[in-house]
Amino acid sequence: MTVTVKTFTSSSEAAAALSSDRNARYLGGGTLVMRALNEGDISLSTVVRANDQALMRIDPSGPRITLGAGVTFARILGERDLSFLHAPARSIGGPAVRNMGTVGGNLFAPNPYGDFTVALLALDATVALQGGFGSRDIPIEEFLQSRDRQAGTLVLSVSCTRPTSAEAFRYRKIARIKPKGGSVITLAAHLPISGGRIAGARIALGSMAPTQIRARAAERALEGRALDAATVAAAASAAAEGTSPSDSALGSAWYRREIVGVHLRRLLLGQE
Amino acid sequence: MLELRKDIFADERDDNLKEIGKGTQRQDMLGHVTGTSSYFNDHKLQGMLHLKVVRSTHSHARIRRIDTADADRSAGVRRIIRGSDVPRNLNTLLSLINFGKDDEPSLAVDKVRYKGEPILAIVADSEREAFEAIAKVRIDYEPLPTVFDVEDALKPGAPVVNETYPKNAFIYHDVYDHQKLRFGDADAALATADHVLEQRYQMSPIEHAPTETNGSIAAPDTNGRYVVYTSTQALFFSVDTCAKILDVPSNTFHFIGGTVGGGFGGKVDTLTEPLCILGAMLTGRPVRYVFGREEEMQYGPPRGAERIYIKDGVMRDGRVVARKIRAYFDSGAYTRLSSYAAVKCAAHLPGPYTIPNVYGDVYCVFTNRTPATAMRGFGVTAMDFAIECQMDKLANLVGMDPMEFRILNAYRDGDMKAHRREAKNTALIECVQVAAEKAKWPIRDEFKRASSRKDGGGSRAAIPRTPADTHARTIAPAQQRTTYDRLPAAALHEPPREPPPPAPPPPPSPRPASPSHGAGRFSSVFGTRRR
Repeated sequence: MTVTVKTFTSSSEAAAALSSDRNARYLGGGTLVMRALNEGDISLSTVVRANDQALMRIDPSGPRITLGAGVTFARILGERDLSFLHAPARSIGGPAVRNMGTVGGNLFAPNPYGDFTVALLALDATVALQGGFGSRDIPIEEFLQSRDRQAGTLVLSVSCTRPTSAEAFRYRKIARIKPKGGSVITLAAHLPISGGRIAGARIALGSMAPTQIRARAAERALEGRALDAATVAAAASAAAEGTSPSDSALGSAWYRREIVGVHLRRLLLGQE
Repeated sequence: MLELRKDIFADERDDNLKEIGKGTQRQDMLGHVTGTSSYFNDHKLQGMLHLKVVRSTHSHARIRRIDTADADRSAGVRRIIRGSDVPRNLNTLLSLINFGKDDEPSLAVDKVRYKGEPILAIVADSEREAFEAIAKVRIDYEPLPTVFDVEDALKPGAPVVNETYPKNAFIYHDVYDHQKLRFGDADAALATADHVLEQRYQMSPIEHAPTETNGSIAAPDTNGRYVVYTSTQALFFSVDTCAKILDVPSNTFHFIGGTVGGGFGGKVDTLTEPLCILGAMLTGRPVRYVFGREEEMQYGPPRGAERIYIKDGVMRDGRVVARKIRAYFDSGAYTRLSSYAAVKCAAHLPGPYTIPNVYGDVYCVFTNRTPATAMRGFGVTAMDFAIECQMDKLANLVGMDPMEFRILNAYRDGDMKAHRREAKNTALIECVQVAAEKAKWPIRDEFKRASSRKDGGGSRAAIPRTPADTHARTIAPAQQRTTYDRLPAAALHEPPREPPPPAPPPPPSPRPASPSHGAGRFSSVFGTRRR
């Protein structure tokens, strides 16, 4: 069977084509789909594309920002208002991958990829989906938990609240090869401070489970406390709780569990 | 100085070159930077078919059954090639210089010895159809015990990886299971040394990671010949390897290579050409066989891993008096070029130093890992890493500056090297001096004044008394056994077998009786099988 490419002018038509064909995959920047095709993934026989300009839109101002699913990391890096997302955007691939790779595609990137999604998870993002039955917004965590079943839906955009200060959002990707290596682990922390205490702590981890996950035990250790050494130590020791990393060429599950607390401590204390 | 015999080689070298300091353009650079260099994969031939291989999912397993019924019927499939379709389905690369025994099939027949070993080749109208047919092949495996560690592989009772070498070690000169270097009495010197330092070094396999993956395109030409566009970095080597495997004279092929999209040693193994040409022979159509990126990374041959033990004896004044080395090259499941790496390694011991007592055992070991191959100084690079780490540790042990320590122990012109050749044109001392100067690393005057051309030879040129190894000589017929005809232990003591009766002269043949690829012409430094 040959591979069919279907291009639509509207995202709703593309979503309909996706939901009606189980062997269809949406092509954003192609950094995942073209690789799969080249490596002989025969589960994929229809490639769906959309030229809808709405997918390319960036709404960077205001307290809540919105990124179209087709926005590339290179464009995010060109937006001064999105500086809080520059570190995660820059940590993805090399310039060629950043020129093509998209926010929407990153939501589906398997380990050791999907670093931008780690940042979005820590920022409590919302994912706007177009399915066969219309569009809806769902929290990113819910989206990730049901990611395997989302193949028939099209991601339209992702939105999240802007961190109140640059200090409140931190991101770090641990890779063996810099700057282009896959993730050993990826960490993002959103720690809004209110009256000297953390209110609404979010810690997200990549490569510590089949999908990006929140480190809830570490969040509980931080919640309502001042960001001091004792609090950070408590969060670090709880970092591996609830994770289920696996062995890969980049690191063993054991190694990932061992180092996640170390890197979380360094991230929260601002150490290199 | 190196002398060039101008009376013989009058036109060989221009002695009036003035190139240093000038910008000289590489001959292939213009094509590369303008995107006009032509690679093998830039040829799209009319009616071209695509070949993909079915690879083993096990590291070691007997193949019970291969069912291609569904794959044969799959859309676009032109031909499924099995091991039995390959004219000479057993080869070793260096058989072209009579070094080693044929040990590797192009397509596995009775068993697979590493994960990813090719079992079938599927030729189809498109890559997609070849992939779809691959998914329909059913292979019934009987998993066998595996061995992934070089030292485990040499232990008695270890799983036999490759029946051609039942003891899991490459056999040199039909007798020796390792390369041996003996110079002086290392054990006696270690016993009297002020300090002894023994360390273990372990290297990992390294992937060449070329931009262009391995591949080739073969097409029928006129007069029964085949034109082959290939990524090979060893074109004539590949021609002869294909001629042997496909059992045709090498002038059957017109190989076109030239631009290699990154080789570094990873494109000498001639992995794609034989099957690609066979596909063209069996279908009468042009056939293209290119590794995917994952194939290249996972199953393309890497630099082999090495495990090295070094035990050094050093005196308080900094002189290294003994160096004892045991090294294991992980060849993976087949020989490829690792047998040669072990030879190079043994020839390199003990590094560029004059050490009066040297003892080396270097093994080329078979395991159920991806076969290893050449890569930039293979056989020497890892050993040098180990030796130089060791030199730093020894310098620290005796409280010497590591640069001065190297100058003190460096070989000099006229010294006797451990493999009994006089050292000539040595320059380690000068290299260290320049390195120290560039790095603004202070070394003392006496070391600044040292020279490779002074204070060598004399007593340093003597070959020391070297005791013979005491253990019994390896029994020669042992390596003739395979797992299929394992002898009882007692049989090892039987007298040498009668040579087989001479075969009747073969009938005259249009083809030369000796292999057409020219094997047998070279009497190499390795010692040939017919020695």
